[in-house]
Amino acid sequence: MQLLQQMINGITIGAFYSLVALGYTMVYGVLKLINFAHGDMFMWGAYLGLTGLNVAVALLARTSPWAIPPTIIVVLVTVALMGVLVERIAYRPLRTAGRLAPVISALGAAFILESLARNVYGASYKTYPTGVALVGGINLGGARVGMMQIVVLVVSFVLMSALYLFVQRTRIGTAMRAVSLNHDVSRLMGIDVNRIIAIVFLIGPGLGGVAGMIVALYYGSFDFTLGWAFGLKAFIAAIMGGIGNIPGAMLGGMLLGTIETLGSGYVSPQWKDVIAYLILILILIFRPTGILGEQVAEKL
Amino acid sequence: MYKKCALLLLALVVALSMFTGCKKETGTLKIGLEGPMTGDYAYEGQGFEKAVRLLVDQTNAAGGLLGRQIELVVEDDAGDPTQAALVAQRLVDAKVVAVIGAYNSTATEPASAIYNEAGILHVTPSSTATRLTEKGYQRFFRVCFLDDRQGLFAAQFANEVLGVQTFGILHDNSTYAQGLAEHSKRYAEELGINVAFYDAINPDDTDFTPILTNIGAVGLDAIYFTGYHAQGGLLLKQSGELGLDLTWMMGNACNNPELVQIAGLANAVGTYITTEPLPKDVDYPEAKKFVTDFEAKYGQSPDSVWWMMAAEAFNVIRYAIEQTKSTDSAVLADYLHNTMKDFPGLTGPILGWDEKGDRLGTIHLAYIINDKGELIVNPQQPTK
Repeated sequence: MQLLQQMINGITIGAFYSLVALGYTMVYGVLKLINFAHGDMFMWGAYLGLTGLNVAVALLARTSPWAIPPTIIVVLVTVALMGVLVERIAYRPLRTAGRLAPVISALGAAFILESLARNVYGASYKTYPTGVALVGGINLGGARVGMMQIVVLVVSFVLMSALYLFVQRTRIGTAMRAVSLNHDVSRLMGIDVNRIIAIVFLIGPGLGGVAGMIVALYYGSFDFTLGWAFGLKAFIAAIMGGIGNIPGAMLGGMLLGTIETLGSGYVSPQWKDVIAYLILILILIFRPTGILGEQVAEKL
Repeated sequence: MYKKCALLLLALVVALSMFTGCKKETGTLKIGLEGPMTGDYAYEGQGFEKAVRLLVDQTNAAGGLLGRQIELVVEDDAGDPTQAALVAQRLVDAKVVAVIGAYNSTATEPASAIYNEAGILHVTPSSTATRLTEKGYQRFFRVCFLDDRQGLFAAQFANEVLGVQTFGILHDNSTYAQGLAEHSKRYAEELGINVAFYDAINPDDTDFTPILTNIGAVGLDAIYFTGYHAQGGLLLKQSGELGLDLTWMMGNACNNPELVQIAGLANAVGTYITTEPLPKDVDYPEAKKFVTDFEAKYGQSPDSVWWMMAAEAFNVIRYAIEQTKSTDSAVLADYLHNTMKDFPGLTGPILGWDEKGDRLGTIHLAYIINDKGELIVNPQQPTK
């Protein structure tokens, strides 16, 4: 029973890592750039969700889970625009400047976003209004699955599937895959590369922002360092699954969440990172491109 | 010009010291207060002065001590060890009978060496570093408690009030939390409690469901978390969401209104918190009178437990001088070590001091979070 419960715990954490990892992987796919600001856009999702929920609760004149759907849409749009803005200001001017400059620029954007959040919202822990998150849960063969855990899993699954289908089945998705293979050839084929990159920076951060809001809704409290804590783990999950690869990001996130949970549940929380990263190193030794990094020939 | 000034100053000092010298028995009785009046801890230092000044004025109005008026000599150490050594020397030169201070252990340590050399009675209200009382200074005392006292209290509370037989302890690897956890474990085992779970969380995490699932599987009567409130709140929330039926106890770092916010009211209700009593909750008549007088004089309540401790330090010194009718520090120190027992202190009964100068007993209280999310004193407390 305990194993089942731990698996449920692990998959929940894993779903968060996956959602955030998608953002890293998509940007890497088209730009070969590690977007370090992604974790902080995720964190902004949590803060904007807080503001949005407060407004929604005030408009509804009561705290109810119905405040969530409109807030999610607002967060999705706002953080997506934030992503495009960051790309426009910090990355596009440096696209031909070699590999190091955009990375440093990304770190700079990360610090700016983090400091902005701290200055706007303050450094103390913020909590979501009570009564918004769903309470209760169901018993599943002796293990307990909370209502919020179900929401998290359903939302992540729907978002990830939608993204996968979008990339595989639509014209824009096909263009994205082309851009991830080669910018110049794509341009010759009549693809507006800048537009495709802008779309990637809409979708990745948008999903990250929603993930931030769901994480904050699930845990109830957070501060401005949320982005680093989850961003780093999600980045590692993306590498583990094979960076640039969307199913890889999902797999990597789930795997990292589960390994961490089992390590912390069956050994000790103090040892869970040692265990998780030992496994990561082993995976990378045997599959340097990550678990799904080679099986899919084209990136993204 | 400079030389002249220095000469004049010297003459003044000599004259002053002769003046105090010849009026030794009938002049004022000087008590020193060393604390951070400026700098990062100024809030505490200035509170020290307010608290002690109030009692000095009251004592003087009632005829003073041994028929002499008390003169409070305040020195600012800014919480800085170098400054502390300088002002300690100044207090020694001012021929104070006893010193209250300093606030932080870093400042108390160098100062205590100087007071010890000079043979002056030294009582710190708030410095909790263990090593301060490990130096064999016979005239150094604390009115605050070390963390091992809170550990003892938590074990007694679990044992006597909750009737715990299987106990769990969870810390977060910080020096403070780990120390409190170790002390609690030791005392719990001395009381015959089975500590069936002892582990640490990583305070950088937000998800504690793995370890909570384990804790839930052990079947504990109660679990004591010794870390800080941000993680404490998350632990309560996630334990509630996992549907675990756990009795939570938390240490004084969880004494923070944000704990309930983070946990959510439903998950926080019924959590016990072991902590020093808040000034408003100290039930002793002496304390109530002190709080009322303080509010009347300064228009604010004594918000910090350390201000109460500074007042406590003064009361201890005054009482010892009254009882021994002496200002000889050796006599006073001997009285504190061996004779003074069951003194009704502002922060709780003073049972006395051990040979190192650490205060005996505990003043900690168990609080409980009620169904409005307020922290109230739990009706049942262990018999001390």
